[in-house]
Formats: sequence, C-alpha cells, structure tokens
Amino acid sequence: MKRDQRSFRVALVADQFVNPPRGGVDGVAAAAEAGWGVVQLPADDYPDAVTQRLLFEVAEQADEFSRHGYDLVVVGQRDGLAEALARVGLAVPDAITPESYVALREFLDSRPNPQALRQFGSGAG
Amino acid sequence: MGVAFVAHCVLNQNSKVGDGAHCAGVFSPIVDVLRAKGWRIEQMPCPELAFAGLNRFWAVREQYDTAAFRRHCARLATAVADVIALRVDQGEDVVLIGVDGSPSMGVTITSSDPQRGGRPEWPDGSPELISGEGIFVEELRRELTSRGIGFPRVVGEAHAIPGYDEATQRAAVESALDG
Repeated sequence: MKRDQRSFRVALVADQFVNPPRGGVDGVAAAAEAGWGVVQLPADDYPDAVTQRLLFEVAEQADEFSRHGYDLVVVGQRDGLAEALARVGLAVPDAITPESYVALREFLDSRPNPQALRQFGSGAG
Repeated sequence: MGVAFVAHCVLNQNSKVGDGAHCAGVFSPIVDVLRAKGWRIEQMPCPELAFAGLNRFWAVREQYDTAAFRRHCARLATAVADVIALRVDQGEDVVLIGVDGSPSMGVTITSSDPQRGGRPEWPDGSPELISGEGIFVEELRRELTSRGIGFPRVVGEAHAIPGYDEATQRAAVESALDG
C-alpha cells in the first residue's frame, strides 16, 4: 500500500478564505500548494445556533489533531472560535489574516515541523 | 452554480484513517472542479475523526453501526442539515460530495463485512465494498427527510475504489454539479 501522504498540518480557515470573493485570497489553494489540510470555519452570516454547533465540531476535531501533535494554525478570524476551543482545553493557535496569497504561503511555509511529523517521520509536507 | 457539501477529508486528508491519506492535505481534483464551476464549498465534519480518533482502525459499516455512533452522526447531521436548509431557503442548488467506500461517508458505495472484528488481521483488497450509503449519510438523509428537504444529488470521491481514474473522477463531479 502506498505510504500515507498526510502532512500533519491543519489550518482552521475562515469562510472568506475558503470561499473568497473575487480578487480575495484563496486559502484552499494556498493550503493545497503548501501541503496543509483545511478545516473550514462557519460563514459569518450563519445564525448563532448554527455557528455554535459547527464550532463545537471544529473544536472537537482540532482537539484530536492537537493531542496527536499535528500543527494547527488559524487563517482569518471567526467570532466564537476562541470560546469553542477553550471548551476542549485549547488555546487559539498561531493565526494570520493574510493580505495576500503570498503572505499566506509564507506563513504556512515558515511553520516548524509538527511534533507528529518528527515522531513518525512520515508525511509529504 | 450552487453549494457543494463536501466530505471533510476532501479538504483535509489529515483526517483519514492511517494509511488512507492520498495527499498532504487538500484533495485537489475535486476542489479544482468546484472552483472552475464557481461552486461554493461547505465542508462537513468527519464522523469518524472525533468519535474514534486519528488512531482508529480501518473499519466496515457493521463495526460503526452502533447506537452511540448513530447518535454521534445524527448530531453532526443536524448541524449539516441546518446549513443545507439555509442554502435551500436561499434557492441555492445543493450537491453532496461523499467518499465512496467509506463506512460513514459513502454515497453510492460503502463497505460491509458482517464477520469483521476481533484482532485486526485481514488481507488487503476490497471485497467489503457494496452498493449503499454510509452511516452518516443515512443519518443526514433521515434528518433532511424529517425537515421536508429533498436529498441532494450526490457524487463520491472514489480514490479508494479499485480502478480509480482521476479524469473519471472529475467527470463524475462535473456531472453531479451540472445536474
């Protein structure tokens, strides 16, 4: 079987960078090129109840990645994220609100190797 | 144009079961089609990740088909259905992109082996693949039906299916988006 290709790098990405407006920064394309996975944060215009449900799931998944030594970052901002992460005992990871695609790539590329990658010595990133 | 609800791992292969990640992070063949056709992306949660964790074993439907996992999937399905309902109310076209072969995210092909269990030793291969939906997809169908919302068109990310071909995958996604 082909070796697992995961990068052990996960970006929590605000919706405006997952679904960028015309001329906006495409966070999915940047993540793809840099070898990062994306966890989408809820769109800003969702009702509070919907947002809270989605952020609850994001936080639980982030917790699993964090406990296994995956690198986590935040791209953009989302109200309620800090509180959702705090409920699972996580601080808000290093973050960027990128002004440009290049700035986002530089941020992602500059991250140190994740603990999980050092431990398992695997991944494509 | 419309809204594509994509399986979590389409954007994040780090959520895959061990030895299951086909690339570093974003599975571009599907995202490229969505971008080219101007579809909005909505990522669904991974049912297996938060329930069984990153160190989970490969599993078939029967191993996940428990009351506890169905409750977990139903909770996730409620959150996803909330967003689908918002988009449907806005008059958006909706497509569901699952993961064929998955015990939870399969949309046309899932995995089944009633005998699987115990010490995790089994030969490589894919005899467990059968037509059908995964458990999360069943729970999402149930939730949408209870709200009177029709089930979206579906297409499966098929990398784990024998004979996978990227051009065929792209064509299948395009076909689902075009309706």
